[in-house]
Amino acid sequence: MAGSNYLWLIPFFPLLSATLLMVTAGQLPKKIIGFLGAGSIALSALCVALQAQHFLASGEIMQVTLWTWMSVANFAPGIAFYIDGLSIVMMSVITGVGFLIHLYSLEFMDDDSSYSRYFAYMNLFVAAMLLLVMADNLLLLYLGWEGVGVCSYLLVGFWYRDPANGKAARKAFVVTRVGDAAMALGLFLLFTELGSLDIQTLLLAADSKWQSGDLIPTIATALLLGGAVGKSAQLPLHTWLPDAMAGPTPVSALIHAATMVTAGVYLIARHYSLFLLAPITLEAVAWIGLATLLIAAFTALAQQDIKRILAYSTISQIGYMFLALGVGAFSAGIFHLMTHAFFKALLFLAAGAVIHCLHHEHNIFKMGGLRTRLPIVFWSFLIGSAALAALPFTSGFYSKDPILLSAWAMPNIGSYLWAGGLLGALLTAIYSFRLVFVVFFGEAKTLPNKQPGWKMSLPLALLCLLSIIGGWFVLPLDHVFPAYSHGEINHSVEIISIATPLIGLAIAYGLFLGKQLSISGFTQSTLGKALQSFCFSGWRFDALYQLLWVCPYQVLAQLWRNEPIDYLYRGIVSLMQWSNEQLSKLQSGELRWYATSMVFGLVILVLIMLRSLS
Amino acid sequence: MSTADLLALLPLLVLSVGALLLMLQIAFIRNVQFSSALTLLIFALAALSCGPATDYAPRLVTPLLIADKLALLFTALFCLAGFVTTVLSMDYMQRRGDQPEEYYLLLILSSLGACVLAYAEHLGSLILGMELLSVALYALIAYPDKSILPLEAASKYLVLSGAASATLLFGFALLYAITGSLGFSDLGTQLATQPSGNIMLLVAMALILAGLGFKLSLVPFHMWTPDVYQGAPSPVTGFLASVAKAAIFLLFLRLFIDAKLYRYNMLLNCLALVAILSMLVGNVLALQQDNIKRMLSYSSIAHMGYLLIILVVCGSSNNRALAIEAASYYLIAYTATTLAAFGLLSLISAQQQQRENVLLDDVSGLFWQQPLLAGLMLIALLSLAGIPLTAGFVAKFYIFSAAISGYHWGLIAALILGSAIGIYYYLRVIFYMSKRNSPSYTLASTASGWHISSLSTALMIIILLLGTAPQPLMAYLRSIL
Repeated sequence: MAGSNYLWLIPFFPLLSATLLMVTAGQLPKKIIGFLGAGSIALSALCVALQAQHFLASGEIMQVTLWTWMSVANFAPGIAFYIDGLSIVMMSVITGVGFLIHLYSLEFMDDDSSYSRYFAYMNLFVAAMLLLVMADNLLLLYLGWEGVGVCSYLLVGFWYRDPANGKAARKAFVVTRVGDAAMALGLFLLFTELGSLDIQTLLLAADSKWQSGDLIPTIATALLLGGAVGKSAQLPLHTWLPDAMAGPTPVSALIHAATMVTAGVYLIARHYSLFLLAPITLEAVAWIGLATLLIAAFTALAQQDIKRILAYSTISQIGYMFLALGVGAFSAGIFHLMTHAFFKALLFLAAGAVIHCLHHEHNIFKMGGLRTRLPIVFWSFLIGSAALAALPFTSGFYSKDPILLSAWAMPNIGSYLWAGGLLGALLTAIYSFRLVFVVFFGEAKTLPNKQPGWKMSLPLALLCLLSIIGGWFVLPLDHVFPAYSHGEINHSVEIISIATPLIGLAIAYGLFLGKQLSISGFTQSTLGKALQSFCFSGWRFDALYQLLWVCPYQVLAQLWRNEPIDYLYRGIVSLMQWSNEQLSKLQSGELRWYATSMVFGLVILVLIMLRSLS
Repeated sequence: MSTADLLALLPLLVLSVGALLLMLQIAFIRNVQFSSALTLLIFALAALSCGPATDYAPRLVTPLLIADKLALLFTALFCLAGFVTTVLSMDYMQRRGDQPEEYYLLLILSSLGACVLAYAEHLGSLILGMELLSVALYALIAYPDKSILPLEAASKYLVLSGAASATLLFGFALLYAITGSLGFSDLGTQLATQPSGNIMLLVAMALILAGLGFKLSLVPFHMWTPDVYQGAPSPVTGFLASVAKAAIFLLFLRLFIDAKLYRYNMLLNCLALVAILSMLVGNVLALQQDNIKRMLSYSSIAHMGYLLIILVVCGSSNNRALAIEAASYYLIAYTATTLAAFGLLSLISAQQQQRENVLLDDVSGLFWQQPLLAGLMLIALLSLAGIPLTAGFVAKFYIFSAAISGYHWGLIAALILGSAIGIYYYLRVIFYMSKRNSPSYTLASTASGWHISSLSTALMIIILLLGTAPQPLMAYLRSIL
């Protein structure tokens, strides 16, 4: 079952299941819905496992064209897959973590009336995401890209009866659309310049046509970066992700932590040779990553909603991935993508379990003392947070450390990037253990009314295992990216990098558990309060965008509501109606008039023909 | 005439012999079921016989007919369309005419005419095929003798179509007077020696364009279309709109290419003008139409306008191959789609006595009562509108790229504008179909049965396949052109 002939099965199973669930519209018995929903992903994961084994054994890059949609003139878009080490890693994460989350959902969504709709969307999402990472050409990649966007919209607004959820879904859709528009322009530019949409052909053509630093690749990569920034919730398009937490928690785990939001990272990594031709864009990637990781980390410190903390931490961790890509450490970026998928999915699922067992409570200050009452969840959270904070010997440590060292090794700007990344690591440790200490220690404020069952516990346990051992995985990326080595690094730099999370842990302990440290004097002051509310609001980005874009737009819309633009469109409508009426009058049904009109037409034709004589 | 010649003409022979057999059957035993079954068999056999006939293509059989793969492909298409029309007619003609047997005879004769047009390589066979097609159609349109609309439609069509044939003949006579030849290729060689300012030649081309323009219902020769489409029995309308149109367009294309008419700039200008007018006028006329049959008839005017773009593109030799490929694909897609749309109309009707009229209100709520039929109509309409993943999209995309490769910006603008207007009235029907009516509302009559469901499913699959996996057909067209 391995080899290029069976590749189509991988996205086919989820797609088939999604279709079946949509067509039957919830008429199936619940057991079958669950069986289809989770089973299709399990089959798909099995296929990926076989393919990965085949790939690791043979190292053969697979390229298949399932069929060419149509080939007219020079345009021949095909449904074609390109499977190399990078795709294999992404596919494994998507189907592996995806399956665990589906399994978890079976129990989490058990009492929801739209059980079937939920699994239909989730399966469709997995299918689209698989297309995105398997695509051989940009058109198919874009199909997957838009597909995951639509599924994200549908799932954020899953509980659509609450208008706030609908609003969050719209925000997620519209903000990423800004990036998507940039990306579409990038695709058009690449197509017109290079005459191909096949990624590999295009990359080769770009290498031979352009020199490093040329204008066109810089513009093209900047536009692609726009798409990546929107999808991966980086500055300045990151504002949608915290609001997207309105969806069910497993959705947040799958789409807004483990897979979809890392599509931007994948996009840049897939086109790395193009980005190498545009050093300016690549440096911009690093700076965007750094700025995002710091801003998001500060914001996470001030949040009170358990899911929003995790959302900001996701934004921050993707910032690290961007940083890694920006300094040219592509493998390190993808490695962090994978470990992040493990521990962040774990954290979200654990948070979901807390919320599930605690009457849908989101505020961490209303929780507390859950260590003894939800032991499985506690241990999951502890391991997840340790990995997130990159404590030594967790998977996060093995993936974040190379990023920091690669940043240091960057000429000229390296030390700044490194210092920023280090500050981020410190903050990460503080906010993640703040979460652990506040939620699981201290006195209990709300008592759980149920315990997670096996369908929720098993994924948690497996993800715990992955979060610990994930750091020892060796990814087959050697032939994908150019060999990268950050050279000899000063030992003191390494030691500082390792020590920082531990210091963060100590600070968090002092602040939130042992209470040896107190900053209440500072937080009570006017400046402290202002700073806290500034961070709480996510650095006022929403307010800024409201002021800069939404309000002017609304004012303009209000002003123009009955104004000239509309007259133009209404004019077209009236013109069409009027000409329809006039022309209809000619259709009198009278034979003599019809015959006359034919003669008229003939005379006119003859006259036109004879004009050529003069 | 050798055996190979006869074999190359096999589909025509099967149809002719079939018509004779059916006539004999009607003379001895009057039995509708038997007649319709025999008709289905004849159409199936004729379509199948195109397969062995391709082994002998291409070959000129007498100066009149050319049996190339394109002709055989379209012959097969027309026979299949005849098959579909027969299935649709079985239910429709029940209780409509006194003696429905001859209806099938006329249908076979009419299809034979269309197939002869596909083979035609000579003005003589052109006239023969066209008259065979048209004369049988007059009778087919008027067949339901119990109501007034079909009679009105048939008499209008008879008079106007006769006039158009006369115009066409006059044009051919002038051509003959100039060149002394009637074969398409001969005409091409002879005309090359003529000065392009020859008045007789110019008038002849105007007359031919007018005659064919009428048959294709191009503006300004389109007036008859809505009345005839509306009055004709729905299966016949489907046949008229798909097979008759496709056959005549294919013939026009052949004449245009083989007689090298593309050399005359004035003719190209006239074609461009007629194309733009047809696209705009057709779409605008369909805009507020409540009668679906009339709406579709106006939309067919627009579609013929789209097709005419291809003839203009043929003007430059670089793009001619792409243009012919585009035309063939469009004709096939259009035939399947039109048959599906009119097929649905012949299956439903609100009033038993006035089955020729199908109004928007009649399809209201169809989704909730007849999901399969409504699905067929949905896909047919989306295909007509040119929405991706349907046959219509690929066909339109073809025309688009052909027009762009020839830099015909004016035609492209009209194509885009026309398509934009078109979306409105196609979607309007879908909107009506998805309305939720009060539970008491039911359609007065809908046909059902396994033959209807399997036919609808097959048509749906064909339209979707042509839209999602058009590559095999494209490759085949490229290989035979």
